[in-house]
Amino acid sequence: MSSPRRPLIGLGVLALATGVATFLVVLDGHHNSDRGAFAALTLAIGWGFTGTGLYVWRRQPASRIGPLMTAVGFSGLLKALGFANDSVLFTVGSLAAVLIYAVLVHLLLSFPSGRLESRLDRLLVAGAYLNTIVLQLALVVFSDPAKEGCSRCPANPLLITHSEAARVIATAQLDIAIALLGAVVAILYRRWRGGTPSQGRAFAPVLGVGGLTFVLLMASLVVEQANVSSELAEALTLALFGSIACLPFAFLLGLVRLRFSQAEAISSLVGQLGGSGGRGGLRDALAEALGDRTLELAYWVPGRSSYVDADGRPMRIDPPPKGKIATPIEHEGQRVAAIVHAAELADERELVQTVGAAAALTLRNERLDAELRAKVTELHASRSRIVQAGYEERRRLERDLHDGAQQRLMALGINLRLIRDRIESDPKQAAALLDASLHELGEATGELRELARGIHPAVLTNRGLAAALKGLAGRSPVPVEVLETPDDRLPSPVESAVYFVVAEALTNAARYARARVVTVSVVRHNGQVDVEVSDDGVGGADAEQGTGLRGLQDRVAALDGGLELTSADGKGTVLRASIPCG
Amino acid sequence: MPKTVLIVDDHPSFRASARLMLEAAGFEVVGEAEDGGAALAAARRLRPELVLLDVRLPDIDGFEVTRRLLDVGEAAPQIVLVSSHDSSDLGEAVGASGARGFVPKSDLSAEAIALLTT
Repeated sequence: MSSPRRPLIGLGVLALATGVATFLVVLDGHHNSDRGAFAALTLAIGWGFTGTGLYVWRRQPASRIGPLMTAVGFSGLLKALGFANDSVLFTVGSLAAVLIYAVLVHLLLSFPSGRLESRLDRLLVAGAYLNTIVLQLALVVFSDPAKEGCSRCPANPLLITHSEAARVIATAQLDIAIALLGAVVAILYRRWRGGTPSQGRAFAPVLGVGGLTFVLLMASLVVEQANVSSELAEALTLALFGSIACLPFAFLLGLVRLRFSQAEAISSLVGQLGGSGGRGGLRDALAEALGDRTLELAYWVPGRSSYVDADGRPMRIDPPPKGKIATPIEHEGQRVAAIVHAAELADERELVQTVGAAAALTLRNERLDAELRAKVTELHASRSRIVQAGYEERRRLERDLHDGAQQRLMALGINLRLIRDRIESDPKQAAALLDASLHELGEATGELRELARGIHPAVLTNRGLAAALKGLAGRSPVPVEVLETPDDRLPSPVESAVYFVVAEALTNAARYARARVVTVSVVRHNGQVDVEVSDDGVGGADAEQGTGLRGLQDRVAALDGGLELTSADGKGTVLRASIPCG
Repeated sequence: MPKTVLIVDDHPSFRASARLMLEAAGFEVVGEAEDGGAALAAARRLRPELVLLDVRLPDIDGFEVTRRLLDVGEAAPQIVLVSSHDSSDLGEAVGASGARGFVPKSDLSAEAIALLTT
């Protein structure tokens, strides 16, 4: 993300000019005491917050911390307009008198991520804005400064009528503010205690000064409500403003320390990389170094052109999950992994890459582990598919035997008994029955032969691949040209796999492809056998569908081979298999 | 001794041989059915005295067909189960089914049927 440089410079110039103007307005104000101190504090707050805010904004454009700090600065300057003698400026100042506290609550609760993480945070911030904008407006329209005891204040052009309502609203506003601030202080304290030690160090200045500011604010509100002593009230207000003026520097210090704690984490990461952190150790170290607990690692598997997690399970990171960014990590020019981290770290891409580079070698090793695990997972899956396929094959055989040859033999048995009973009394019918029986016998024999060939073709064992493929070609309903077969015998598992690849391809070509001719070639070279079966049919076959191809894939993979199906619509189908053979 | 028979089996070659054998023994084969659904419909329509019923049918299993055939009470046919399995493959299911008995297809004869029916 690029920094909006020019608008930021514009805002800086505006802050400078507004600061000078406000300073003069406050000094010139004739209805307040301690003008000098307030003028100085106003400038310190206005410039302090806008200056540091714009700096942070420029450095971390994706974070809301910078804009919020800048907003605090401007609302501080607006507030100071309450000192003005001019009635319009005075009213603007009155309207914005307490806005700065709501923005401060927003800022503190967003630190350090820049986002309001919880629902409670968001509720509190919304409450603060309501209290300081809506109720403040209601207050202004019902209160006449002159009747509030400020005889030298300018007139209020927004005044509808001076009413008792103003007092009720003011009391409500104070009560709400005190309650909100109490909750905010408690949350900040818990946040400070909840972090890691290095986070605690980074949060301490912000949460400390921020907490102090809110405590002072609460105290001054309580004093104001109790209306005990105006000196105490003024002293508290000065202390409050002083504390607010310190806050931007506390923020800078906090952000610097946060960076420092990350640098520390990186060096401890580099230290840890030497030893084996065990599985998950690297992830934890990276999560600590980058301050992102949700960080995940995705390992690149070049063979599959995809990512897997540490357990070897496939992982999709393109597009990355919502609110996340994936930063690829390379080692010696080769992609080894990606760090999937919170989108807030977008400003810290450099940091992520530095951390990644430090971890690249370890990542590469873990990648090899993950790749191995992916392979093991795949092996497990294919092994159970092979077992399942074997089981289904046996069931199919049992059914084929039962429905085919067995039924024919049963019928044959009945016929033979009938023949025995008739052979003397009705030789003519006995002869007819014998003819029918011979037919049944022929059918049974044919079916048994076909079944046996499905289990393992005898011709393959006895006479080799060339003869077996010729046999397949001869039985195929689609004309088949066998272009090439190896002269020598191959190892029998390889011959068998090649035979079944060709058989499946021919069956599919006849059944689905509407092919006119199929060509088959089997070539042995460089220690492997390449099988190619191509047809001129309609194409559009899908390897994912149908168990036939899946079974073949497992069969070929079991021999460390690969299977590839090319079948564009209308372009025919080509099935290729490569199987290593010594 | 029943006279009219319904043959239920999904293999045409077996039905043909069984019909020859039964007719030779003096039975009247009133119909054939190739699955459980068709068998139930045919039994309602033809009211056979005997049903020769294959255990393994493509839709409903033979034992279930037996149960539904016997459900009609008094008018129910006598049922003889047949299968290309032998009785050890079927276990106690035959006894529990309410059928008259079981004959392996390899031993099927008019005498075996006569022994089981009344």
